[in-house]
Amino acid sequence: MSAGSAGKPGVRRALLALMRRESRGARGRLFFMTACLALGVAAVTGVAALVAAVDAAVSRDARSIIASDVSVESRRELPDDLGERLDALGVAAVADVVEMGTMVRDEAGESESVLAELKAASELYPLFGQLVTLPAGVSAGALAEDELIAAPELMAQLGVAVGGRVSIGGKTYRVAAELVDEPDRVDFAMTLGPRVFVSNQGLARTGLVQFGSRVKYKRQVKIREGATAADAAGLVADLRANVEDAPYLTFKTFDRPSPGLARALDRISSYLGLVALLSLLLGGIGVAQVVRAWLGSRTPAIATLRSLGFRPREVFAAYFGHVLGLSLIGCLIGVAVGLCAPLLVAALAPDLMADGPGSVQWSAGGRGLLLGLGTAAVFSLPPLTAVWQVSPARVLRAEASPLPAPKSVRVLSTAALILGVFFFAYVQTGRWLPSLAFTGGLALLVLLLSGAALAMSRLALKVPRTGLGFTLRHGVAALARPGAGVIGAAVALGLGTLVVLALGIVGSRLEEELVNGAPPDAPTVFLVDVQPDQWEGVQEIMTSEGMVNIDSTPVVMARMSAVAGRPIQELVAEGAGGRNRWTLTREQRLTWAEELPGGNTLIEGQLWSDPDASELSIEAGFAESLGVGMGDTISFDAQGIPMTFLITSVREVDWASFRINFFLLVEPGTMQGELGWRLAAARIEPEREAALQSRIVEQFPNVGVLRIRPLLEKVAATLGRIALAVRLLGGFTVLVGIAILAGAVAATSLKRGGEAALLKSLGLTRRGVAGLFAIEYGLLGLVAGAFGGLGALLLSWAFLHFGLQLPGLPSVASVPLAAVGTALLAVVAGLAASAKPLRASPIDTLRA
Amino acid sequence: MTQSITTPRGAVAPQDDAASEALLTCEGLTKRLRSGEREITVLDGVDLTVRAAEFLAIVGPSGSGKSTLLGLLAGLDRPTSGSVKIRGEALEAMDEDALALMRRGSVGFVFQSFQLLGNLTARENVVLPMELSGFPDADARAEELLAQVGLGDRGHHYPSQLSGGEQQRVAVARAFGPKPALLFADEPTGNLDSESGARVLEMLLGLRDELGTALVLVTHDLEIAEGAPRAIYLRSGKVEREETR
Repeated sequence: MSAGSAGKPGVRRALLALMRRESRGARGRLFFMTACLALGVAAVTGVAALVAAVDAAVSRDARSIIASDVSVESRRELPDDLGERLDALGVAAVADVVEMGTMVRDEAGESESVLAELKAASELYPLFGQLVTLPAGVSAGALAEDELIAAPELMAQLGVAVGGRVSIGGKTYRVAAELVDEPDRVDFAMTLGPRVFVSNQGLARTGLVQFGSRVKYKRQVKIREGATAADAAGLVADLRANVEDAPYLTFKTFDRPSPGLARALDRISSYLGLVALLSLLLGGIGVAQVVRAWLGSRTPAIATLRSLGFRPREVFAAYFGHVLGLSLIGCLIGVAVGLCAPLLVAALAPDLMADGPGSVQWSAGGRGLLLGLGTAAVFSLPPLTAVWQVSPARVLRAEASPLPAPKSVRVLSTAALILGVFFFAYVQTGRWLPSLAFTGGLALLVLLLSGAALAMSRLALKVPRTGLGFTLRHGVAALARPGAGVIGAAVALGLGTLVVLALGIVGSRLEEELVNGAPPDAPTVFLVDVQPDQWEGVQEIMTSEGMVNIDSTPVVMARMSAVAGRPIQELVAEGAGGRNRWTLTREQRLTWAEELPGGNTLIEGQLWSDPDASELSIEAGFAESLGVGMGDTISFDAQGIPMTFLITSVREVDWASFRINFFLLVEPGTMQGELGWRLAAARIEPEREAALQSRIVEQFPNVGVLRIRPLLEKVAATLGRIALAVRLLGGFTVLVGIAILAGAVAATSLKRGGEAALLKSLGLTRRGVAGLFAIEYGLLGLVAGAFGGLGALLLSWAFLHFGLQLPGLPSVASVPLAAVGTALLAVVAGLAASAKPLRASPIDTLRA
Repeated sequence: MTQSITTPRGAVAPQDDAASEALLTCEGLTKRLRSGEREITVLDGVDLTVRAAEFLAIVGPSGSGKSTLLGLLAGLDRPTSGSVKIRGEALEAMDEDALALMRRGSVGFVFQSFQLLGNLTARENVVLPMELSGFPDADARAEELLAQVGLGDRGHHYPSQLSGGEQQRVAVARAFGPKPALLFADEPTGNLDSESGARVLEMLLGLRDELGTALVLVTHDLEIAEGAPRAIYLRSGKVEREETR
């Protein structure tokens, strides 16, 4: 009779044997339990791997947008120590790209010169994505030094075809191919003109790269296969620390490739985080409910073990070990599902995985395995405390009162659950605050659901039963009986409803936003350099060619001469901001407007609010890069005319709208329209683009026609794929959620066999018993669904508002729908699980 | 339902001093249960002593408090008041863990409804308490005990594959496995037909004789009680009388 005996090998052996043998017998129940556990854990692991697969697919798309993992860019020649550092870091591949504006004319010099954007690329370009040409397969890096690839609009303007010749910098080049698509061109805001590709030797041959030339140098880097955003950020941090001229370099990483897509990628990343978090909850609910039901059915065995001298903690250890063992099976199934998910997605939705399913997500599998096991462990703790409540006296009297679980056990299991949820939420999101909010919100909802279930149970006890029909009376009464497990079931149902509905609301809203990300009415053609006296004629052509959504704005090109009272030369000389030198010295496009243009939002100040000043409205990011704010002044030199403006408002611009937008907007009346030219944008049918181009070139040879349809289509395709990913992932999680909900109800109904048999032996028909159960499950589902729906509404609103910055309120109508839907699901799942005892002869059940 | 005792070996009285020392004592043992608004006194101030190797029968009609008394004596349940001591250690001072350790080391049980673990084979059921108390050669002893109760060839069967009488014989083998000083049997033949019941009882008493285990047997069957050297008769939770033969 000594406490020391607990540590004896014999006890450990007995516990291990118990743990192992617990799997025997009752195969049906064991299968049900393993299936529920597997489903719960698979929700965590499967979603983790699916998230990784979708993330990888989206990342592949994003990589092709900058044709690299990281792009290092500069307005001066890239420093030698950059190459040395990249070599030292052992990156997988690099490609060098040089871009500059240049004038191109036909060989004979008969046509007007056209301002084009020349791009030279080394052999490995592009590291990601594809350069598409006509004829196919012409590589920029492999071009001969006197060959080039030209955009169709340039060829049209110059009147040359593939095989024809053009002149750049006095040298003749043969057009080797027509450019159909290039991967790293999504940001058209700074586009000078149509694209021309040459090789590095071809660029040297132009003789245009000289001191003082406006050249943009890029070194595109592939870190390794499957590099993550963290790898890219790590490389940038390393280069910033180790490359001497780093302040003059701009770094772009694949996860933030362009303003147009950055927001969509941010949103999908947040959404994936939400799905991962909610799948964790889903898995936890599944595990907790199944363990609760399973322990309920094991009560007699636990009492026997206690009477034989097992201490509660030993019984707990045996059952906990058993749960972990089954969870491991669930995890392995989940991981297998997860690892196969990319193959499945590639088969079901080839659009999402345009480059194939990608490599196996082993790390996601490992992470999912640990998360799944951890989730199963912490969520099984509270129900497992029931082991302490089983009185050994139950071996003598089945109705022996349960013992109270020790306070330390209750506190420790609850604390472990809360800390576990917080820890796993942190692992999923990588951020403290959302993890804390998730854990706190969840705790609050559990309290609310428990309170609601308790109130419902009390109400069921007090509701006057006279006048109610037999079925309704007994269905309501069943909710009030002690040990009905109403609270546990209501919490599980409510949380499950929350997950399913919140994902439904957020997913559909995000999908809607993504589909509209590349608006169907966005312009497909931009016309630049339209002189004021040409505008009328250009408009005529645009209208006659069937262009719609015509938008135009005057543009004045000006250089900044002072910022916040300090001359530009001074700022440049002292290296203010270093890498913003180009921002300080380049020509800026200015425009004016009476009202705030569409897609713009004022975040500070008011438009044209100071009658005594010439006012300027500045884009927030641009203001930040200049280091200016409200009340500062910026001076310009507009073709020799000095002008000074006071910043009286700061705007945010939705660059993803594809409309004409400007960093700098001046007060109307402060500039002369004659100084500038007009920029126009409109939408045209693809088959009429060439005709428009010919007519414009013919009548107004100085006007540049930029066709951005390929760019629009690229963005739309990427957003479309993201939307598909959202639908797939949301659909998968919602389906798992519904299955787990059904499992939770079924688990609670397993122990109803005896009750069904007794009622039937008292003369109730099967239909009568089923009706009685249906009332009970229906009421339970109704209350839990209403609270879960309310929680989902709050969660989805908070997530849409704060997480995704998407306006609008989710529909309140979803709450009653959720309540009714949960009630129906509870009735169907509950009756399905009770089907066997309902069918069985009462005596079989009562004898068992 | 009555059973006859063909070999009343249970009537062996303790002979030496060691055997006559008190193994279990209880004083003023009372148990009250709440039933709705009412409080029912199930057991009312029972005093009792069980000596080592003694065979004591607790007899009484249904509802007299026999099983409740047994539960309290074995530390399965807690009294409302009064005290139980096993080998001088007061059970009321023990927490659940200490009670479990006490049962593990000193006490065996045979229940009316067998209480075998359905997911263990007969042999594993017998081995379990021996493994728990670190008993050497548990497997060999389990085989031996199963053979003694006539189930040597049924060790690999699960409880659901055995008849009621066979299940109870496995329970008897399990109870004697770790050689407990004290064995509690609650209506061990109550769920069996007379023939099976007699066989179970014979084996229970045979093993008790062989191992010198003190036996507290609860029964409503007067014939079984008469086979015990000492019997106390309970009525309405109180000791009505005590008989020593």
